[in-house]
Amino acid sequence: MSAVILAADDIQVAQNIGFGIIAAIMVIGALKVVTSKNVVHAALSLVLVLSGAAAQYILLGAEFVAVSQILVYVGAVMVLFLFGVMLTRAKLGKETDLDQPKAWLGVPVALLMLGVLAWVLIDGFQDERLPADATSKAAVEISDSVLGPALVPFLALTFVLVAAVIGGIVLARKD
Amino acid sequence: MIAALEGPPIGWFDLSPLLVLLGAALVMLVVGALLPRWPRGLYAAFTATAAGATMVLAMVLWDDVSDQGARYLVGDAVTLDGFSMFATIAIAATVLLACLVTDDYLRREQLDGPEVYALYLTAGIGGIVMAMANDLVVLFLGLEVLSLSFYVLAASHRRRSAGQESAIKYFVLGGFASAFFLYGAALVYGGTGSVRYDEIVAAVNTTLLVERKDALVLAGVALLIVGLAFKVSAVPFHFWAPDVYQGAPTPVTAFMASAGKIGAFAAMLRVLTEALPQWRDDWRPVVWTIAVATLAVGSILAVVQTNVKRMLAYSSISHAGFILVGVEAAGHTAGEADPSGGVAASMLYLLLYAVLVMGTFAVVSLVGRTGDDQTDLDGFRGLGRTRPALALGMTVLLLAQAGVPLTSGFVAKFGVISAAVDQRSYAIAIVAMLASVIAAFLYLRIMVSMWIVDAEAGDDAREAVRTPLSTSLAVVLSVGFTLVVGFAPGWIVSAAEHATTIATAVAP
Repeated sequence: MSAVILAADDIQVAQNIGFGIIAAIMVIGALKVVTSKNVVHAALSLVLVLSGAAAQYILLGAEFVAVSQILVYVGAVMVLFLFGVMLTRAKLGKETDLDQPKAWLGVPVALLMLGVLAWVLIDGFQDERLPADATSKAAVEISDSVLGPALVPFLALTFVLVAAVIGGIVLARKD
Repeated sequence: MIAALEGPPIGWFDLSPLLVLLGAALVMLVVGALLPRWPRGLYAAFTATAAGATMVLAMVLWDDVSDQGARYLVGDAVTLDGFSMFATIAIAATVLLACLVTDDYLRREQLDGPEVYALYLTAGIGGIVMAMANDLVVLFLGLEVLSLSFYVLAASHRRRSAGQESAIKYFVLGGFASAFFLYGAALVYGGTGSVRYDEIVAAVNTTLLVERKDALVLAGVALLIVGLAFKVSAVPFHFWAPDVYQGAPTPVTAFMASAGKIGAFAAMLRVLTEALPQWRDDWRPVVWTIAVATLAVGSILAVVQTNVKRMLAYSSISHAGFILVGVEAAGHTAGEADPSGGVAASMLYLLLYAVLVMGTFAVVSLVGRTGDDQTDLDGFRGLGRTRPALALGMTVLLLAQAGVPLTSGFVAKFGVISAAVDQRSYAIAIVAMLASVIAAFLYLRIMVSMWIVDAEAGDDAREAVRTPLSTSLAVVLSVGFTLVVGFAPGWIVSAAEHATTIATAVAP
């Protein structure tokens, strides 16, 4: 089945193989995040998943999104995670009490969500393809729209930051 | 060559309600940090003044809109219309009342400072942006501003661990709900090619009917409803509400129950009726189901609580059910030139409920005494003897929440139920009436505790309930408003109808 798809004329074989490999790495990484007994290992597996997502964005020709993904998630968020682990827990080895006894309840919910969303996406986009010359001007377009039609959402982000900064002050201030 | 960048026209005056609040929040932070502690009450007075100015500006703009018609602002990102000005006035009113209640609370707990007021202002900004948004991304940003402020406000009493716990719960669940909302917005964008409400509506004729991306949009609508239903604490997304309402400082609880509901319901009404009217036959049954579940669960579980803050949390869930009845009624005619009264009834309900709940929690905050922890029913025992005026005010507010005639609660409930009946949604109207009968029992329990239950040994040893000036003023204002609207509802009903007709003039 997959071989048939790969052999079709208008399919970019290299991209598809790349997609498959990265996707497999991401799935394994995601499983590791929830099954690992070691918090630091779980965090590092998450790095794998997030970098994989960035790689997929590059395959889609969205290099700006990919770079932001690396900067924000792999760079900032992960460092915060690791700092958080470092600063709050002395123990860095395996732990036994990480698993919730009712964790299995999440499995059917996750499978249901996966099924519905996968069906929705397949049904929604059916056999649409990215144009083969999708080497994008995405960064230029994004910067133009951020300073043009999307200026207001961009400025509204400052409201979010103001709220977050005030929140940080309130929570961190000593009496 | 680089072309000169042209930003969208801004329309500064049209945005003035937001800018006043933002300016006040920044002044509060910067000046509050640079100067030593302001004289007592000044933080609250300053914030209340800003909120009052916002109300006045919103009224001026409302007048302007009814002359010149509704319009989009700043690159079509937000809508200036009667609907958004009505929501702005309501949210500013809650900020004002919240300041009055908070001033006494913070001084009693020795926490006085500018931060809480700055967070009220940013939360107000978030709520107003949600009500004004014409764009799912702008709406999401408003939602985040509102939510971030609430998370921190819930934890703002740093010595109470209950507050910290409730803030963490709210933060984790709220982040989850925001993710649902964002995923929904992404799917709607995938299906229609736009996040702007008017373009989503226009897209149905081009992309959607030709390319058949119905499933994509429907899944998006479902996730949007999940995200917004969480914010209004509708069943089955209500689990956070009782814990958070109970754990948060009481004035903050009051503010969450009022401003949070106004912002989230205004956003829900706008998204469902302005962006997604073509799917109204798909989302209306969902809203119907959520409304019925919310009414039933909220009313029944409210009755079995013993903590008054928790009771009022469940009662606010049940009130959310009533507002959803109005949303359901609006769903019958969404997108039509002559809309039903559902939108107007829901907005009116929000305003009246916000004032009511503010007053009610103001009394709870006084009865909570120092430490804010005597909020069990026992804490209210004997209030009718020691503080008859306060108990009388509370009684009026509780009667209004129960929907007794000659109070604003009756006007609100009558509005949504008659909107439902107009659309022949008889079943939901009957459920709503039954729920209000069940919920009445809960308000009676508080009244019985205040007036009838005998004093017990040790009652006199408890700290006396004090009635400081500004909180009393808040109670008097909301009781006054409740009675005025109850006796003479005509003007405010027609104001709500006027506001929402200007709104729908925008919809294509």
